[in-house]
Amino acid sequence: MPMHDTEPDALLPLPTAVFHILIALADRDRHGYSIMQDVAARTGGKVRLSAGTLYSSIRRMLEQGLVEELADSPDPASTDERRRYYRLSRFGKRVAGAEVERLNTLLQQARETGLVPGA
Amino acid sequence: MRSNALYRALLYCYPAAFRHEYGSQMVLAFSEELEHARQTKDRAGAASMWFRAALDALTVAPKEHFHVILQDLRYAFRTMAASPSFTAVAVLSLALGIGANTAIFSLWNSAIHASLPGVDKPEQLVILSDPDDQGMWTGRLSAREDGDRPFFTYAEFQQFRDNGNVLSAVMATESNFDSWQVRVGDGEWEQARGRLVSGGFFQVLGVSPVLGHVFTAADDSGDAPYAVISYSYWQRRFGGRPDVLGKALGMRKTTLTIIGIAPRGFFGETSGEQPDMWIPLSMQPSVLPGVDRLHDKSPKKVMWLHVFGRLKPGVTLAQAEAQMNSAFEAGLESFYSGVLTAENRADYLDQHIRVRPAARGASSVRTRFSQPLSALLAAVGVLLLIACANLANLLLARGAARRSEIALRLSLGASRGRIIRQMLTESLALAIMGGLAGLATAYLIHAALVRLMDFQMSFSLDPMVAAFAVAATLGSALLFGVLPAWQVTTMDAGEPLKEHSRSATGSIGRMGWGRFLVSLQLGLSLPLLVGAGLLARTLYNLQRVDLGYPAERLLLVRIDTREAGYNAVRRDTLIRDLLEQFRRIPAVRSASFSNLGVFSGGNSTLDIQVEGYVPNGDKDRKSSMDVVGPDYFSALGVPIVLGRGILESDRPGAPGICVVNAAFAKQFFEGRNPIGRSITSVEDNARMTCQVVGVANNARTQNLRRDVKPRYYLPAVPPFDVEFKSPIFLIRTATDSAPVLAVVRQIIQRADASLPIISANSIEEQMTPLTAQDRAVAQIAVAFGTVALTLAAIGLYGVLSYGIARRKSEIAIRIALGARPARVIAMVLRETTRMVIAGLALGAGLAYAASRIVTSQLFGVTPQDPLTLALAIGILVAVALSAAYFPAHRASKLDPMVALRSE
Repeated sequence: MPMHDTEPDALLPLPTAVFHILIALADRDRHGYSIMQDVAARTGGKVRLSAGTLYSSIRRMLEQGLVEELADSPDPASTDERRRYYRLSRFGKRVAGAEVERLNTLLQQARETGLVPGA
Repeated sequence: MRSNALYRALLYCYPAAFRHEYGSQMVLAFSEELEHARQTKDRAGAASMWFRAALDALTVAPKEHFHVILQDLRYAFRTMAASPSFTAVAVLSLALGIGANTAIFSLWNSAIHASLPGVDKPEQLVILSDPDDQGMWTGRLSAREDGDRPFFTYAEFQQFRDNGNVLSAVMATESNFDSWQVRVGDGEWEQARGRLVSGGFFQVLGVSPVLGHVFTAADDSGDAPYAVISYSYWQRRFGGRPDVLGKALGMRKTTLTIIGIAPRGFFGETSGEQPDMWIPLSMQPSVLPGVDRLHDKSPKKVMWLHVFGRLKPGVTLAQAEAQMNSAFEAGLESFYSGVLTAENRADYLDQHIRVRPAARGASSVRTRFSQPLSALLAAVGVLLLIACANLANLLLARGAARRSEIALRLSLGASRGRIIRQMLTESLALAIMGGLAGLATAYLIHAALVRLMDFQMSFSLDPMVAAFAVAATLGSALLFGVLPAWQVTTMDAGEPLKEHSRSATGSIGRMGWGRFLVSLQLGLSLPLLVGAGLLARTLYNLQRVDLGYPAERLLLVRIDTREAGYNAVRRDTLIRDLLEQFRRIPAVRSASFSNLGVFSGGNSTLDIQVEGYVPNGDKDRKSSMDVVGPDYFSALGVPIVLGRGILESDRPGAPGICVVNAAFAKQFFEGRNPIGRSITSVEDNARMTCQVVGVANNARTQNLRRDVKPRYYLPAVPPFDVEFKSPIFLIRTATDSAPVLAVVRQIIQRADASLPIISANSIEEQMTPLTAQDRAVAQIAVAFGTVALTLAAIGLYGVLSYGIARRKSEIAIRIALGARPARVIAMVLRETTRMVIAGLALGAGLAYAASRIVTSQLFGVTPQDPLTLALAIGILVAVALSAAYFPAHRASKLDPMVALRSE
């Protein structure tokens, strides 16, 4: 049951896996294995989502309305009917934005107090 | 592929719903990733994938399960909140069922099963005496018929303590539980309970005081006017103030100093009792004056102690027993050396010790209550079954109401397993709420039971009781939850739609289960009703048992001449003087006195030789005996059937005479005329002969249940009254005896203000404790029977109301077609009768089986008593029919137009 009436802030901070999945879905719709590959590639293999973690997160993200499942494959060339594709929802985008904002503020505070070097 | 199959197997760790939804995707993703690792020859990567998959099964899978449970619970609570009256009824009846079970189990557990609370390593404790007995035996021989010794003397305890071959530590306690008049400082006299214990008591039990110190072995010799008080007495009497140490406790003519406080939750070596204080055994002469219990004069022993010890490491019970017995027998031989002859040798020396585990401690209630408590436990178990059947019925009815919702979920693709799980979660949530409420109920019921049964124990949620409560809760959830869940999910998804068009006749199958459950409840109620009836009749019989004398307008007053320092001659004068004054009270018809009185708990047995009687065995040489004052029989109201009673003229110097009871005459004279025959009592080497001058009717003065035993009565004439130091006056009044008691007290006070009155009761008061346990058990059984029947009636009412509501249109059509109200009522009652008959058939078998459990509790009624059975059936049928009448009456008043329009 999507929870569109929830404010994005209520879901923050996002679990690492969820944020990674949101990022993976930012540029295009993907199926599960594609998300796993994307996360591994972007992090240079440092973060590897297991299938269990991935689908447990997707189950929750579907309930929270962060992602949507597509009825048809977005890739006409794909012959594999078994694959299920996921897309970032509008709410998901807002939540991801809120999370980025939160991290930004945090980063800025760390810099301002001289905890880390930066502008 | 093998790896795929293995991964698929791992997926079984996840909830079914999750597996169905994402399982194939997970297998796909996993196999692709594995394939990639294979192609790149990344063996470490493949290994790490398997590792992560296994880790997921241990971490992610439980989280998913938790998520489902949480979802189900949320749903369950929403459902419960939506029908608050259903929830209230369910939780209440479960609370009652689980609460009653937990309370009785807790009682059963602490009285019969549990180890001594607050004692260090109780499993190492052993007891040499009989843990289930308490009292004091005085005399030469006091082993049981099988030679086992129930208690020990102080000297024997010292021998065990000092001869430490097999036991690492030994202590002794007074087997009786005492009640004392005490006063704190100069305060008022008040009641306190406790017992005398040896110096090693606390060390052997491994108990350290919370404040002050405890006794030591040194307190066994010499003056030790100290008391250690229990934690609860400290809290209750002294408000837990630490300055209690050093306070003076006045007791009789001595003053004790409080030196320590026992830890919380420690009640001593006996279960079922909560002593206020412990006092060293060496204080016996001042605290329990009278018989010197610390020193024996051969060949008489005073046996009154339980002896406990701890086995030395590596010593078995059998080894300990053998060792202790050889030392014990040597002790007996030297003690009795003055009186041993070739003939009596076996009699004296056939005594032995049984060494038993004592983790559960001593208990006077264990044997007495083990059967009633087991029977009550069975009864509450049945009660819980009835409550579960009732709930199952309610859930069935509610399930039927929710059928369209469930059908919708089924047709939307929910699996049956998922819905069963959901419904079981709802049952579980109900049961857990009922269980929690049940704990509170258990606390209340426990308090009531303890008061009823005169136990001294508090409700504690120890691991055994907690485990029982949890098991009862989960068991109930399964019992009442499975059938309705299964029932609802056996239907077709499309059924409810069709159902609607069929409602003119209703669904027979579903109603069948409801009927079955009602029959089951009625059936289970019957044994409870029969049991309650049998126990109530037992109580009735016990209260009306023919004593052989009127059980009213009789006062029993016991004084202690010993403590007041009377010798034999002064005592004789005092007693006769008091008797004279009692008789002059206008409301007094007659008065006398005796050594044993009536239901005082004491008894004396003597070895006798009866003229013209040849004994067959040991038992035939013994008779019970009482020493009585003049006019004893007329004061008590026991008819003399032959010869005469005991008269004023039976004074010192007159020939020795005695009166026997009918049981004595029957056993020892076997039809011959007893008058003029002689009875000789043999004690040690002294013989005393008396001539029988009369036969009195049998009188029950010892107990209510057993037959009257042979007894003979001697006049209270010196030197027969050497032990006769606390006589019991029997005062028969013409009117209510209560006002006379005050006058009697005044007379005693005037005669000697220092004369202690040990007890002063009416016969009714004296007899109340005799039936206390029977009364308690009967009351509890009746309460359970009533609750069971009420639940069954509610179940019946519910099923009928529901059935009639579903068949409204059928009934309406019947009425519209001219059926008279009486016929509609008859139709409903016919249905009820079928359920009742099925229930009775089931219940009769159960009642027959259950009656065996209570057999030993019964008195004057057989377990298969037809009257009780008939009465129980009658009550059950009457209650069932009245529960059925209201829905039937409502149905007969249906307005056809309204009923049909509402369809």
